Amino acid sequence: MTTVGIPRALLYYQYYPMWKTFFEHLGAKVVVSSPTTRKTLAEGAARVVADTCLPAKVFVGHTVSLVGNCDCIFIPVIRSLKSKTYNCSKFLGLPDMTRAVVPEAPPILEIEIDINRGKRRLYEDIYRLGRHFTWNPLRVREAAMAAWQTYREYRELMYRHQLTPPQAMEEITGELQTGLAMTPDTLRVPRTTIGLIGHTYLLYDEHINYQLIHRLQQYDATVVTPEMLPGYAIEASVNKLAGRAYWTYEEEVVGAGGYFLESGADGIIGIMAFGCGPDSLMMDMIHRQATRLKTTPFMCLTLEEHTSETGVITRLEAFMDMINRRKQRGEALCV
Amino acid sequence: MRLSIPHMGNVYLPFRAVCQRLGIDYIVPPANSQRTLSLGSRYSPEGLCIPFKMTLGNMIEAAEMGANTLIVPGGYGICRLGYYTRVQEQVLHNLGYDIEVIQMGVSERKFFGMLDIIRRISNNAPWHRILSAFRFGLAKLNTIDQIERTVQKVRPVELVQGTANQLYTRAVHAVDNADDYDTLKGVRTDYLGQLNHVARNDHARPLIVGITGEFYVVLEPFSSFDIERELGKLGVEVRRATFISGWTKFSLFLNPFGINEKSRIHRAARPYLKRDIGGDGWESVGEKVLHAKEYDGLIHLAPFTCMPEIIAENIMPSTKEQIPVLTILCDEQIAKAGVLTRLEAFVDLLERKRRMRHDLQRVSV
Repeated sequence: MTTVGIPRALLYYQYYPMWKTFFEHLGAKVVVSSPTTRKTLAEGAARVVADTCLPAKVFVGHTVSLVGNCDCIFIPVIRSLKSKTYNCSKFLGLPDMTRAVVPEAPPILEIEIDINRGKRRLYEDIYRLGRHFTWNPLRVREAAMAAWQTYREYRELMYRHQLTPPQAMEEITGELQTGLAMTPDTLRVPRTTIGLIGHTYLLYDEHINYQLIHRLQQYDATVVTPEMLPGYAIEASVNKLAGRAYWTYEEEVVGAGGYFLESGADGIIGIMAFGCGPDSLMMDMIHRQATRLKTTPFMCLTLEEHTSETGVITRLEAFMDMINRRKQRGEALCV
Repeated sequence: MRLSIPHMGNVYLPFRAVCQRLGIDYIVPPANSQRTLSLGSRYSPEGLCIPFKMTLGNMIEAAEMGANTLIVPGGYGICRLGYYTRVQEQVLHNLGYDIEVIQMGVSERKFFGMLDIIRRISNNAPWHRILSAFRFGLAKLNTIDQIERTVQKVRPVELVQGTANQLYTRAVHAVDNADDYDTLKGVRTDYLGQLNHVARNDHARPLIVGITGEFYVVLEPFSSFDIERELGKLGVEVRRATFISGWTKFSLFLNPFGINEKSRIHRAARPYLKRDIGGDGWESVGEKVLHAKEYDGLIHLAPFTCMPEIIAENIMPSTKEQIPVLTILCDEQIAKAGVLTRLEAFVDLLERKRRMRHDLQRVSV
């Protein structure tokens, strides 16, 4: 039985249940690299040039840790999921870059998802991926349908039950995702609602964001992440803020940010990686909008491998203190 | 309406010609300077690349001079540059300039889109006038690029250093001032003749170094401290595939018919990088593979935080075709002395490599 390795980085948080279903329907075994550690990051950072962004370094680190544990590694290339959108070069060059910097890696399974090339090409590409496991197009079709179904369930679960992707993944796959309980403590009454915006691979990788969600919950905050928001609302705020969507993963930042700014969240925290091309523009857009509206406090945390935990905690504490004080003052004013 | 466009190399020459012929009020922003860069970086979001900062600086300086319409390249499918127009427009509005930013598509509806824009800004001038003005602009662009190619060849071998550069500066003015085809032709033959008669050092055997990388930093000398001139001073012949005239020729006229000047480069890159990753990343890898035999070394210019070039930089060392590559990241923090030191060291290395290769050949004979 072939073992397919999936690095626990980048798009993993968005699509893992889907990929797992697909490969298991085709009779393969799926292994995932273990959660990010200091070693993973160091390993990744040592292989690529210094200005590569943090998530890409983490990705390379995970790939290195998979070497020897699997027969092939699955690295998809996602160019566009909507017509006339485009993705960051790092996603487009990911398989080739991995091959170049991890020469000892097992063969890489690739698939290029580009909606702009039409449905037919998409189906052909899926079949070509399935061909590695079976010649039978019907089996590939069945696996793809099952995978799609899982993906829909996964999204539905996050939206209906307000779960974060790791929690939803636990529900669906039954694999324990993190060491930390993400569910809010029911005994405490949450005082504030914090909207988090940023890409999934930064929000849910506890090593690189220093357990941000957990920390926020300790401050008695309810954390709302982009995955928990209704799709139509996100789309509406993308259209309002940025006009036509340009980036493939724009909803997570511009859409969610615009939504939080108007839905009455107590504060918004944006997470971005240093040197992130799309985010440098999109976070700025949210920043500008927040400055214009002057209703919701906004803070942007930039992460890189030299970010210190203390720095993050200090800024977080200050931000939460400010929000709490603001709330108290607001309530006092109302009375 | 006062029109302006940000600088990128000599791109203002053809635009000025087109506007003159159509009677459009056009101002050239002040030449790129430290002030441009400082203005641009002060008002840009952090983490953006030098093309954004420089063009924003140009836009602000143009706005100060009274421009109220700007043409900026943009569009889908070319790294984040396609998104810049929107952000730059917002920055300008926040600064209080009432300015219209027109996005010129560089990835879709290229030729007709450009003609449409010219027609719009010229108050619906008749098509034949637009086309003739456009043709004249292209002629200027071709002339100046042809002269620049010759200058690249003359620089490393001239006896009196700086002759070619002086001629080039004068040629730019002459081309700018030429207002019909005859004068333009005269300028071309005159300067090409002068360049070919520059006193040369017959013993010089210049090293050949290719320049590749991101479009803007390769074409805009200010952003890379005029690296070609510096290499010329060190006695190195520079080869560069990117010229604006080449881009216009293929991108506007030949690509729609399926002729792509870059397909050879892409084919060369394919074993290492299978697909277009936006920007010029694919081409950078391809040029390394393609010219490994021809060139002595390659200089890879990239703006800091440029996404496609970082991927290219990661892939380049793994190619089978070996050739020394020096990557220079350009941003507002680089210092000229730092760049020069690295260039000198690089050229020394190439020279030693060449000497060793010759010694080996002599031994085997």
